[in-house]
Amino acid sequence: MTPTQQLIRDLFVTATLLPLASSLIVLFIGKRVMGKGAAWFATAAMGCGFACSVYGLRLWLEHAPGTILWNVPWIPLPAFGGGWLYLGAMIDGLTVAMMVMVTGVATLVHLYSIGYMKGDARFERFFAYLSLFTFSMLGIVISNSIMQLFVFWELVGLTSYLLIGFWFEKRAPQLACKKAFVMNRVGDMGFLIGFGILFYKLGGRLLLPAAAGAVDAEGHAVVTMFDAIRSVIEADGYSITNPPMWLTAAGIGLFFGAIGKSAQFPLHTWLPDAMEGPTPVSSIVHSATMVAAGVYLTGRLYPILTPGAHLFIATIGLVTLVMAACMALVMTDIKRVLAYSTISQLGYMILGLGTGAYAYALFHLITHAFFKCCLFQCSGSVINAAHHQQDMRYYGGLGKKLPVTALCYFVCTLAIAGASIPYSNLGISGFYSKDGIIAGTINYGHAMAAFGPYAKLFYWGPLAVAYLTVFYMARSFALTFLGKPRDQHLHDHAREAPWTMVLPQVCLAAMAILSAPFIMPFWLDLIVGSEPAAAAGWLQRATDLAHGPAMHDTHAGLLQGVGWIIALVAGVAIYQPGMAISSKVAAVPGIKQLYTWAYNKFYFDALYDVFTVSLVKTVSRIVGTIDKYIVDGMVNLAGWTGRFGAFLTGVFDSQVVDGAVNGAANVAASGGQLLRGTQMGRVRAYVLFLFVSATVVTLMVITVTLAAR
Amino acid sequence: MSSVTTIGLTHFVIVSFFLVAAGIATMLTKRNAIGILIGVELVLNAAGVNFVAFNRFAWPASASGQIAIDGTMFAIFVVVLAAAEAAVALAIFLNFYNNFSTIDVEKATQLKG
Repeated sequence: MTPTQQLIRDLFVTATLLPLASSLIVLFIGKRVMGKGAAWFATAAMGCGFACSVYGLRLWLEHAPGTILWNVPWIPLPAFGGGWLYLGAMIDGLTVAMMVMVTGVATLVHLYSIGYMKGDARFERFFAYLSLFTFSMLGIVISNSIMQLFVFWELVGLTSYLLIGFWFEKRAPQLACKKAFVMNRVGDMGFLIGFGILFYKLGGRLLLPAAAGAVDAEGHAVVTMFDAIRSVIEADGYSITNPPMWLTAAGIGLFFGAIGKSAQFPLHTWLPDAMEGPTPVSSIVHSATMVAAGVYLTGRLYPILTPGAHLFIATIGLVTLVMAACMALVMTDIKRVLAYSTISQLGYMILGLGTGAYAYALFHLITHAFFKCCLFQCSGSVINAAHHQQDMRYYGGLGKKLPVTALCYFVCTLAIAGASIPYSNLGISGFYSKDGIIAGTINYGHAMAAFGPYAKLFYWGPLAVAYLTVFYMARSFALTFLGKPRDQHLHDHAREAPWTMVLPQVCLAAMAILSAPFIMPFWLDLIVGSEPAAAAGWLQRATDLAHGPAMHDTHAGLLQGVGWIIALVAGVAIYQPGMAISSKVAAVPGIKQLYTWAYNKFYFDALYDVFTVSLVKTVSRIVGTIDKYIVDGMVNLAGWTGRFGAFLTGVFDSQVVDGAVNGAANVAASGGQLLRGTQMGRVRAYVLFLFVSATVVTLMVITVTLAAR
Repeated sequence: MSSVTTIGLTHFVIVSFFLVAAGIATMLTKRNAIGILIGVELVLNAAGVNFVAFNRFAWPASASGQIAIDGTMFAIFVVVLAAAEAAVALAIFLNFYNNFSTIDVEKATQLKG
């Protein structure tokens, strides 16, 4: 390892550990030593982490050091040829990009929280949790093995539980954090199954990157985890297009972890409920940390995804993005609209990874992090100004009261819409990333055309939803900031948030514009540089296309056209006066049913309630009854036996043992009582007694002596 | 009655009996501590008389023919002990008097339960 590589490694490891340190300090001594300053301390630590990451990024761009692997022996595994389970770091282009994004967004969220959480009873603890959350995510990003990744993966689950349920005094956050935790466990079960399959099939070769044979002069592994698996498989005579069946199963299993964390189709219902957490939590969960972890994992899995796994992933992504967009269209809670838009955008990323647009999917993860974080912070400012009213039907006309927030929200609406100047290659960040994904899907759709006409869904779906995205975001913008105030009282009291909240919004909005057109080359270089060798011939085309400069020409007139402008104008026009027009449309028979369906989230929650929750509850009740009457019965019986024995012993003790002691004492006492009369203290009486008794004794002696004679 | 009655053991025993009787009578009747002390001295000296008398009449010599003076020695011891006892008793009476302004033994009731 060269000194530069070592320096980069140290910088990123420091950036990872700083939030942990600040979290522990704030948690254990923060309140006593620093008081409210703990929040600034945590923010500053996060900022230092960001600075380390940016410096690391600069070095990386300057020196292009290649993948840095750092393995520290952790747990010995004598069963696997005397090898070790390694703890450490793996840093490639994707890691660097993610580190910079996560630390940057987390710093801004910390700063935002100082304003938003002001006056909360557990103000300091919030920052400890937030820092711990960020640390967990950074740990995932920098992990060198599946084992280490899984540790941090679970840590993200735990900290998200703590943060979503931060206001645990209220019922809804309690339920929401429990739901998030349990649904993530369901996904993690799949992760463990996938991991188990890999471990069963590959054994020690899975855990020991070095065992794959690729080591440098000093014995350090130079091949990343999944590349190593790939080469092991190839050494066994398989290839990725001719894979063993278990590899597909393992890939899908591991992907289930991502389904849980990234809120994909069957396990998506926890994410909207997670809106019960404080808004800064929503903003970081939805951008840089938790949901990003699933997409990141899928990106890391890329080298071992077989065509079957790709199809599965693409299908899940497609279903998710269409479904979530429909729900986002009808929600009236501002945070829920954003939540469903997040699920939809995550669907894009997953679809992108499934269809081979690896670089653009992960690029979308990064651009999305900036604008979605900003959108949530804006919604937090609005909610703050509106005295915790979250229903957009009561908003309207807030743009005049919150001009900066409105501007940031609008910029990010454009970003998520993928806005561009018609018939040119210039656009806002979302344009580049989403465009790339759609390009990938088109090629995937063509590649899959042989399997039937449904393959076309793979590109018509995301394309249609791209316009739907513009429409529902325009709807939320218009309902909130435009038109006439629908609640005069709320409107009169609305004020712009303090600078600690506005500044992060502005920074993020700036990043939403800039992160692609100007910074895009190195973002994309970083990610493309980390891209594993193309998965297969039939994906090669999509990948090449998504990389190439000619990408935008392939679908001129799709996104870059005027489509997004039409959708935006339509959304603003329909919703600017409020819900009047839309409620008429929603009342039309046929549309009404669809509307009701979407408004009730396609009845997923009800479905889970009937088939899972109530089932689990019934089983629990039965098990509980058994526990209560049989297990507890036995325990109670044992308890009663012991108690009865103790009672008998007690009786024996109090009556027999104590009786003997008391009896002795009583004898002594009454004897004393009897004899005390003789000790009357009269000297002459003593003398008389003495001589009388002496005389008596003498007489007796004499009598006996005489009688004996 | 020409013959002079020889003073024998009986006479001594009678004397000592009277001494004991007088001593006991004194102890029983006196409330004055010094009176009781005098009674005690009488009883002690009765014992001393008995020691000497029995030594002279009942055991004048040892088996080897030497004169035995064991009883006499005990009488001297009794005198010495009586002196010591009188000293201690008088000291007690003094303290007693200091505390109660009397030497009436009936008044010494503080230790009574």
